[in-house]
Amino acid sequence: MTVSRRSLLATPALLLARPAVSQARFAGMEVKLGAIVPSSGPFAEWGRTNTVALRMVEEQVNAGGGIGGARLSIAIYDDAARPAQAANLVRKLADDDKVLAIAGPLTSSACEVAFPVANQAKLVACSQASSKPGTAAANRPWAFRNTIDEAVLLKTSLPWFKRSYSVETIAIIYDAKDANSVALGSRIMPEMLKENGIRLLNEGSLATFNTGDIDVSAQVTALKALNPTALVVAADYSQAVTVLREMRRQGFIKPVIGGTPLISSAILRAAPEIPVVSCATYYAGQQGEKVQRFTNALQPRLRATAGLPPTIEPSMYDAHMAEIVGMYTDAVLRGGLTLKPADLESDREKLRAHLEKLSGYEGLSGPIHFAETGDAVKVFFTVVGQNGSWTEKVRGCSTHGSLTC
Amino acid sequence: MISSYVAGLLAEIGIASIAALSVHVILAVGQLSLGNAAFMACGAYTASVLTVEHGVPVPLAIAVGAVVSGVLGLVVGFPALRLRGIYLAMATLGFGEMTRSFFLSLDATGGAAGYSGMQRLSLGAIWAWALPLLVLVLLAERSRLWLALNAVRDDETAARLLGLNTVALKLGAFTVGAALAGIAGGLFAHWHIFIEPGAFNLDRSIEMVLAVVLGGSTIALGPVFGAAALALAPEALRFIADWRLAAFGALLIVILLLRPQGIIDRRLLRALKP
Repeated sequence: MTVSRRSLLATPALLLARPAVSQARFAGMEVKLGAIVPSSGPFAEWGRTNTVALRMVEEQVNAGGGIGGARLSIAIYDDAARPAQAANLVRKLADDDKVLAIAGPLTSSACEVAFPVANQAKLVACSQASSKPGTAAANRPWAFRNTIDEAVLLKTSLPWFKRSYSVETIAIIYDAKDANSVALGSRIMPEMLKENGIRLLNEGSLATFNTGDIDVSAQVTALKALNPTALVVAADYSQAVTVLREMRRQGFIKPVIGGTPLISSAILRAAPEIPVVSCATYYAGQQGEKVQRFTNALQPRLRATAGLPPTIEPSMYDAHMAEIVGMYTDAVLRGGLTLKPADLESDREKLRAHLEKLSGYEGLSGPIHFAETGDAVKVFFTVVGQNGSWTEKVRGCSTHGSLTC
Repeated sequence: MISSYVAGLLAEIGIASIAALSVHVILAVGQLSLGNAAFMACGAYTASVLTVEHGVPVPLAIAVGAVVSGVLGLVVGFPALRLRGIYLAMATLGFGEMTRSFFLSLDATGGAAGYSGMQRLSLGAIWAWALPLLVLVLLAERSRLWLALNAVRDDETAARLLGLNTVALKLGAFTVGAALAGIAGGLFAHWHIFIEPGAFNLDRSIEMVLAVVLGGSTIALGPVFGAAALALAPEALRFIADWRLAAFGALLIVILLLRPQGIIDRRLLRALKP
């Protein structure tokens, strides 16, 4: 695959927070990172785009002279979104591949099992997508997530949703098989709706479906009969499209709000006339020099990759992956690492300490810090997906104590 | 000294072997259970709650989990007495989904969010359970009791005419099979130190049955070999990246076409004897 001059120029801006201290400090050495992505199984599309994004970053960094002269090498493994495989891959990356740190795993279920192993191995693992409340916090100090808790995001998006669509009544439908969706649909959302003075019409009998269900007509008919002003769909995009298509088929055109897993080009295609409100820390079509360089470099690669839809766009999790590698790179350059094989253990510890007190690192949308919970403090946007594109409506920050964007 | 990755795989094989043996024992009377993941879940949650909430030592907690799963197996076994073949498979499948939904709704054990706080077992501790259980099943296979179980499998009416208590034999197999699955669940929970209802879904039950079908159901070494193959093959196929699961499926089909009785059977073992 060819690398344009433009994409090469994007590398330092994307990955390095500050100019390298000494460009040849690590000449002849190697920075070996690991990544765990679900290239097969239920989240294969995300996993495969993650792989392309990681290979692009690797290629760009090495073409740009490496990290202080050291060659970047990323060992990418597929966990098929299966927790047991993710846990074993952490062991493999820690002991066999001897990586400095890991990007991933993607799902919260995999993180729940893999993060304790990372803690045991004393190896940083930073998830690109998990947003189930408390998953990193329960596995400190080595677990991190370059994501924001759904409850934090809703504090901004829900009031805006209520105001913009004059939402007085609402109903909830969620995927009862997915832990993240259950937490959002049955616990977080009902509380937040109450706080925002929105009447929940199906309180006590929330509508549910199961991952893999292809017919949700009965649930949507029941929801339509309640005649709410809007609907909460707590599910990842691959399941939410089934609900949106059924809403469209029944002429139940109401604004929808959900969590970050809704952000996908598939959602835009499912029912273009239904406004879908969610939060994102990156979305294709986002404005800004750095972010557009990233999108423009990655999109053609994704569309040229076999097995991915020809109209695919980079996802938020691709951006998170690139940022995670960028933060690790930043740690190598500014964290006092030696990159000597004998110092692997202390280098891992230095990288962890660097992330914990991360400052001055510029992600795609703004600075990134980590709270003591292990979750990222970063910029996010409330976006509306309608008529084939995502549009930014409100900009926020997942401020935590004194840490802010 | 083995790497922690290899240790992880060996632990997975140990747990999956016990789970596969749970299907093997039930299959000995000709019953096919597609709900053994539910027994595994009961063992996992019981043992976890006992160790986390009540400070019960892990081995004792796993044993209690096995008893709870065994009793549940006995209860499920009663209606299953009237069912055979595909009807029994459907009934146990329904039981599995019911149990998963139960734990999904049970707030006391975290519901969909899962349950954690267990202490991690070592690889040695897992095989300290797996090896004796395998030896026990192998010894049982050489007993008259196993012959009686197989007699029920081959012709229940004839077995009854011979004076065998077919009801007790079928219920006993279901109970022991469920208890074995419960032990596998307890070990699973204390190896991964996190459990959620999704970990005990239909896929898990099918994996257990597949291990028996692939490895061979005529001798206990078959399910163990099958469990090892199912754990190792996806890892060995990593070099073909995105296609590995498709290749894994194709490999299974080829093996089952070539060895419909499973990879390991008594004839193969006799042929391998020097």
